[in-house]
Amino acid sequence: MAIVKLEDVHKTYPLGKTEVHAVKGVSFEINKGDFISIAGPSGSGKSTILNMIGCIDIPTNGKVIINETETSGLSDKQITTLRHEVLGFIFQSFNLIPVLDVYENIEFPLLLGKSKMTKAEKSEWIDMLIEEVQLESWKNHKPNELSGGQRQRVAIARALVTKPEIVLADEPTANLDSVTSDAIIRLMKKINRDLGTTFIFSTHDPTVVDVADHIIRLKDGLISENYRQENPKSFGGAE
Amino acid sequence: MRDLKIAFRNLTRQKRRTILLMAAIAFGIYIITMINGFTGSFIENVSENFSNMLAGHIFIEGKEKTDSGKTLSLVRNDDILMQAIKETNTDWKYLTKRSDLSAVLIFEGEDLNQSVTGADWDVEEYFKDRIVLKEGSFADLQAEPQGIILSDKAADKLNLQIGDRMLVKCQTYTGQQNVGEFVLTAILIDSSLMGGSTAYANIDYINQLLNLQPDEYMSLGIFLNDPDTIDETADALYENLKTKVNMFERSNNEEENKILSMLKQQDEQEWTGLRFQLMTLNDIMSEVQQIVNVLNTAALIILFVLFAIIMVGVTNTFRMVLMERTKEIGTMRAVGMQKGIVRKLFLYEAFFIALLGVITGLILAGITMFILMQINWGMNTAAFILMKNGYMTFKLSVPQVLLNFVIVSALTLLAAFFPSNKAAKLQPADALRTSN
Ligand SMILES: Nc1ncnc2c1ncn2[C@@H]1O[C@H](COP(=O)(O)OP(=O)(O)OP(=O)(O)O)[C@@H](O)[C@H]1O
Ligand SMILES: [Mg+2]
Repeated sequence: MAIVKLEDVHKTYPLGKTEVHAVKGVSFEINKGDFISIAGPSGSGKSTILNMIGCIDIPTNGKVIINETETSGLSDKQITTLRHEVLGFIFQSFNLIPVLDVYENIEFPLLLGKSKMTKAEKSEWIDMLIEEVQLESWKNHKPNELSGGQRQRVAIARALVTKPEIVLADEPTANLDSVTSDAIIRLMKKINRDLGTTFIFSTHDPTVVDVADHIIRLKDGLISENYRQENPKSFGGAE
Repeated sequence: MRDLKIAFRNLTRQKRRTILLMAAIAFGIYIITMINGFTGSFIENVSENFSNMLAGHIFIEGKEKTDSGKTLSLVRNDDILMQAIKETNTDWKYLTKRSDLSAVLIFEGEDLNQSVTGADWDVEEYFKDRIVLKEGSFADLQAEPQGIILSDKAADKLNLQIGDRMLVKCQTYTGQQNVGEFVLTAILIDSSLMGGSTAYANIDYINQLLNLQPDEYMSLGIFLNDPDTIDETADALYENLKTKVNMFERSNNEEENKILSMLKQQDEQEWTGLRFQLMTLNDIMSEVQQIVNVLNTAALIILFVLFAIIMVGVTNTFRMVLMERTKEIGTMRAVGMQKGIVRKLFLYEAFFIALLGVITGLILAGITMFILMQINWGMNTAAFILMKNGYMTFKLSVPQVLLNFVIVSALTLLAAFFPSNKAAKLQPADALRTSN
C-alpha cells in the first residue's frame, strides 16, 4: 500500500521576473516500510520534492497524498498537525535547537501536541531512543558541545520520538565524513527494519544510494529512473 | 511551560543585547517611578505643611481698604464669625487667632528681617508638638509677655542667648513706625518643620506692636476634626456669613482659582468698609494638585517618548532575532509547532525583557528613594514645603506602578508583535532554506 503518492507534481519558484521550473511533473508511489533514496545531481529537484512530501512546501500543481490524505485541501493548522503526527525530519545541517540540551531536543516534538503517552512512558521512550543513538553520556549537553555525527544522531532520535510513519532526510550525511556517514545510514536502516518506519532520503553520494531498496533518480526536475533494488548493499559490521 | 522555558532561554543567547534592551526599559521605569513617587507624597506633604503654616483648614480674614487704597487684614470683632461657626455646627478642633508682624530685629549692631507670628499659645496646643525646641520652652514664651522664639540660625546671626533682649523695629497696622523689645525665650531647631523664616511670639504683644486692640487679630484659622469635610464646612460657613456681612465672592467656577479670584476682587472692585474673605486649604491645594497633575502628565509623556524610542529598539532587535533564528523557526514549524506558538515564543521573550526591565527599574528607584529619604535637606530651602520635616518622602500607589508596568509591557509587546508575526507566517521550507 502506498503511504506517499505524488501525482503529476509541479513546482515553480519565482526568481526575479522569471520563474524556475524546479519540478516538472513527477508522479510516484512510496510503500510503507520502504528505505528509499531520491538521487540526482545538484539542482535536479531533490530537496523540492522532499519538502513537498514533508508538507513544508506546497506544489504549484499536482497532488501530494500522504496516508490517503490529499494535502492541498488542508489548512496550515491541519498540515502542521499532520507533520507532527505522521512525519519526522532529519536535516543536512542537523537543525537542533541550540538552547535545549540533547534530552530536551529529542523531547521537543513530543511537547508540541497531544500525546497518548504518560509522562513516565515519555521519559522511558526518550531514554530508549538516546540509548539507540548511543548518546547516554551526552544527555544533558547542549548541541554546540557535540560533534557533527552526534548531532545528527540527536536529530534522528528527535525525528523518531513521535513514532512517525515516515522520516524525511534531506542529504542527512552531506555534512559528515564517510565513516560517520556510514554509521548514520546504518542507524537509519536499523530503525527502518526494527520499527518499520518509512525512510525517504535524498543524496548524491552513490555509496549511500546503494543501501536503499527503492531508488528514484531525478534529472532536471523529472524522474529519470524509478526502480527497486533487490539486494541493497549492507554494511558489513552492523549486519 | 515549554514555551516559557524556551523563551526564557532564548533571552540568554545574546546577553549583551538583552541587557541593553532591559536597561533601556529599566531606565524609563526608573524615571517615571521617581516622578510618581515624588508627586505621590507631594500633595500630602504640601497639604500638611500648609495647614501647619497657615494654622487651620479654613481661614477667615477681615479686609479693610485704607484711604490710600491699601488693603489691610483685620478681624475687629469676631462675634459674627463665632456665631456663624455655631450656627453651622462646624465641628472644629482648634480655632486659631493669629496676627503677623514683619519686623527688623536688632541686637548689638546686628540686624535681621524677620516675620513674627503671634498666637494664643494656650489655644494652639497642637502646634507645640510640631516644633522642636533646642533651648527653652513654650511655657517660657507664655510666661514672658515680650517673649519670642527664634530659629537657631536667626539666634546665631544676632549672637543671641536665651534671656537676651533685642530691639524690634516695625510698622503698625496703619503704617506708622513703631519700636519695641523682644526677649529671647526659646530657640527652635531649623530643620523642624516650621523653622526657617518664621518666629513666634504672644499675640497680645504683636497686637500691641501693630497697634491693634487685644481682642483684634488678622486671621481666624479653623482646624476641623475631619479634614475631609473642609469643602462642605467652608460652603456652609460662607453661605451663613453672606447673610450677615459682606463677603468676597468664592468663585464656583471649577476652572477659576478661588484664591486668585478673591485677590482680583480686592484689587479691582470698588469696595469700602469691611469685607470678609474665606479660604480653605483645598483652595490652595487645588493649585498644588494642578502642579502635581502637570508633573504626572509630563511623566506620562516622558514615558511614552522614552518608550517610543525603546520600541524602535525592540522592533529592530526582534527583526535581528528573527533573521538569526529563521532556520530554527523553520525547524520548529517542520517538527510540528503551530504558527501561533512561534509568535507566542517571541512575545514571551519580549514580555520577559519588559518584566525584567520593569523590576530592575523599580528596584533602582526604590534604592534611590531610600537613599534620598535618609538625607536631611534642612528647612531653609524653598523646597521644604514639598518635604516632611526636611526629609524627602516618596509615595507610590500600586495601581500607578501597575499602570506603568502595563503600558511598558503593552508597548514592548506591540513592538515585538510585527516581527513575531512575520516569523510565524514564514513558510517552513523558506525558513529552512536560509543559510544561518
Ligand atoms: N526558493 C527558491 N527560489 C528559486 N529557485 C529555487 C528555490 N529553491 C530551489 N530553487 C531551484 O530549483 C531547482 C531545484 O532545487 P533543489 O533545491 O530542489 O535541488 P536539489 O536537487 O536539492 O539540489 P542540491 O543537491 O544542490 O541540494 C534548482 O534549480 C534551484 O536553483
Ligand atoms: Mg537539496
